Amino acid sequence: MNNKKNKVTVGKRVKEFIAKSLMWISMAIVFVLVVSVLWTIFSKGIKAMSWDMVSKLPGGGFYIGKEGGFLNAIVGSLMIVGASTLLGLLVSVPVVFFLNVYLTKGSRLAYVARLAFDVLFGVPSIVYGAFGFTVMIWFGLRTSLLGGIIVITLLIIPIFIRTMDEASRNFPTGILDACLSLGATRWETLKVVVRQIAPGIATATLLSVGRAIGDAASVMFTAGYTDSIPTSLSQPAATLPLAVFFQLSSPIPEVVDRAYAAALVLTAIVLLLSIAGRFITAQFSRNKVS
Amino acid sequence: MNVRILKDRTAKGLMLTMTVVAILMVVAIAIGLYLKSRPVLESQSLSSLLFGSQWKPLKGQFGFLPFLMGTVWVTLLAIAFALPISLLTAIFITEYARPMVKRFVFPVLDILAALPSVIYGVWGILVVVPWISKHVAPHFVDFSTGYTVLAAGIVLGIMVLPLLVSLFIEVFSSVPAELREASLSLGATQWQTALRVVVRRSLSGILASSVLAVSRAMGETIAVLMVCGCVVGMPHGLLDACYPIPALIANNYGEMLSIPLYESALMFAALILFVVVLIFNLLSRIVLYRIEKQNE
Amino acid sequence: MIEVKKLNVHIGDNHILKDIDLLFPERSITCIIGPSGCGKSTLLRTLNRLIDSTEGVRIDGQVLVDGEDIIDSQSDITELRRRIGLVSQRPCPLPMSIYDNVAYGCRINRMFKKRRELVLHVRQCLRAVGLMDEIKGRMHAPASRLSIGQQQRLCLARSLAVHPDYILADEATSALDPISSKTVEDLFVSLKDKYSIIMVTHTLRQALRIADNVVFMYLGEIIETGPASQVFNNPQNELTQKYLSGAFS
Repeated sequence: MNNKKNKVTVGKRVKEFIAKSLMWISMAIVFVLVVSVLWTIFSKGIKAMSWDMVSKLPGGGFYIGKEGGFLNAIVGSLMIVGASTLLGLLVSVPVVFFLNVYLTKGSRLAYVARLAFDVLFGVPSIVYGAFGFTVMIWFGLRTSLLGGIIVITLLIIPIFIRTMDEASRNFPTGILDACLSLGATRWETLKVVVRQIAPGIATATLLSVGRAIGDAASVMFTAGYTDSIPTSLSQPAATLPLAVFFQLSSPIPEVVDRAYAAALVLTAIVLLLSIAGRFITAQFSRNKVS
Repeated sequence: MNVRILKDRTAKGLMLTMTVVAILMVVAIAIGLYLKSRPVLESQSLSSLLFGSQWKPLKGQFGFLPFLMGTVWVTLLAIAFALPISLLTAIFITEYARPMVKRFVFPVLDILAALPSVIYGVWGILVVVPWISKHVAPHFVDFSTGYTVLAAGIVLGIMVLPLLVSLFIEVFSSVPAELREASLSLGATQWQTALRVVVRRSLSGILASSVLAVSRAMGETIAVLMVCGCVVGMPHGLLDACYPIPALIANNYGEMLSIPLYESALMFAALILFVVVLIFNLLSRIVLYRIEKQNE
Repeated sequence: MIEVKKLNVHIGDNHILKDIDLLFPERSITCIIGPSGCGKSTLLRTLNRLIDSTEGVRIDGQVLVDGEDIIDSQSDITELRRRIGLVSQRPCPLPMSIYDNVAYGCRINRMFKKRRELVLHVRQCLRAVGLMDEIKGRMHAPASRLSIGQQQRLCLARSLAVHPDYILADEATSALDPISSKTVEDLFVSLKDKYSIIMVTHTLRQALRIADNVVFMYLGEIIETGPASQVFNNPQNELTQKYLSGAFS
């Protein structure tokens, strides 16, 4: 009896050990992959990096390896992302507020809305791009800054709404009840609610900005590409991901190097946003009643 | 007093409209893409579009089968690659990891999730493609550029990893602690508990999450486009080049529009993608909602 | 026999259990009573080391189960937990059939080689808790279809199936209706010839009905302990007197 028991115990322990090793291996794979991606981008990018790259526009003959930088792409990306983030916030905050304050917990409309936004979140950006382009043609727009802004706005609204909605889900109903019982209308509780979910809004914004700045497929046909900084909404605009993509396919080594430099800039921006997101979530939550 | 209530009503009306309009986006996309793809749908039967393998735009022949197969191959490979790793990682995080380890793992997953598609593409070209061409392919074929189904699958697999891990963590966390304790108190080890209780109870959630990841992988464009080889033709193995649908759209849109029906065909491709992703998303989200509700 | 010596448990900065010295006699029911938050459940969870999964926990002292110190990390936790069954507050059937619930522990511990033996054993366990007749042919139906009271008895059967020496019960009847509660209570009484039962309860009347020994805890300390008749009829400590008279709960 005792002998058998030992066998069972040993068997259990061996299995446990194997399982644990497998888990550590998976974790290691994930970790190695992250390091590999970051290191590849960093080591390749840093070689081609210079002040000119981020401060100058492409000069004449830039694409055969001559003078210049990709300031056009950086500025283009910032313009598109900045504008669409503002527009996105303008649409999403009211929608989230409506879903959480005006609608009751079991509301059918809220269920359908959440489902719809989750589905929209899952729609590939290339589909947004294609759809956006169709709409633009409908309105007689050409590839332009405005087109890029519209499509990116469409792309990030679902991200905004779902992330903020998640944050408001933990919203203590007691606070809302307290406001309402003081005689406030639902609309007037907005201030309180916004203050409560501020960290949620902040993280949602960072997440959307990160997603928006890195998305290439949707701006490909809507914003186009240009060597100059757009001065009006109807001019095309360059973007960082496309700067990487286009220059990488060049046969000239210097141009390919610049693709790496652009990739480094893009990665740096995205990483900063991600770190800031973590930081804000940690910091802001102190002011929150939970 | 009246002004306040009026304000409230107006705001409500406005917000309701905004919400409904936003929901209608789903319908708008479907209709827009359908209208655009009608010309090509009228010129050929649906089955010849979906199951035809002749891609000769100049002759007006649009058989999407090679592209569909490319998408299927790449997506399945990506999931096959990401599923075991993400399952084990998620089990480790929910069942084993101490808070210190978690504090370390989550930012890493964050980074993985935050990196843009084009960055993965660059990494694929610099690391995965040469590795396949030099170290993997020579064992099986005479020559390969490395731009293959395998390369696209690996890159895509890594891209869906963080999504899968975070979904799995959510699903596993919804298993009540009492169940684990019941199993442990019968003398089960942690692994036995994880496998026979946690995973077993989460099967529907695991399936739903995987479907969601599949739909995400299917639509991924730039990274795949950069490493898949973009050769029109049916892929027959992991070391063949392929041409998934998103890559097809991205590569040709806006350029070949002088060819009749080409734009419509590309829009049809986008419509296929949209419909499949829509169905997959709807199904998996409904299942996941249900799990979430059980949890409350 | 379970013997607790100088047991101190901290969770984070909180000192949950303070210098616990206890002896749980065999083949009898020991009830741990005390107001909520006094550390009863923590003590129970320390006895089978389920406390390990709590964040930031620190355990000092000894818990001797048949002479073996289980706080010592060298000991085999899974074997220990097999020997100490647990019935928790809310019944928690595993997500499988009634039969598989009872068979789960046997399979985990590879107790039987032949399927037939396992089936017989499962039936026997279900009979022991009076479920066999109630469920009749539905042994392979999902356990979640049973009523709450039946689920709790199923959990008890599941514990019995792995031949434990001790059974821990954490307010095992508090989620049940009065009738099921009585059934489960009677079950515990009938089981005390074979098992040593340690039960946390905060219904004093239940303790009065079934306890052989009583442990009164307050704010993480043992205030008074002894045979039930002595503690209930002639409490030595003032706090115990107050608690028993219902001055606080």
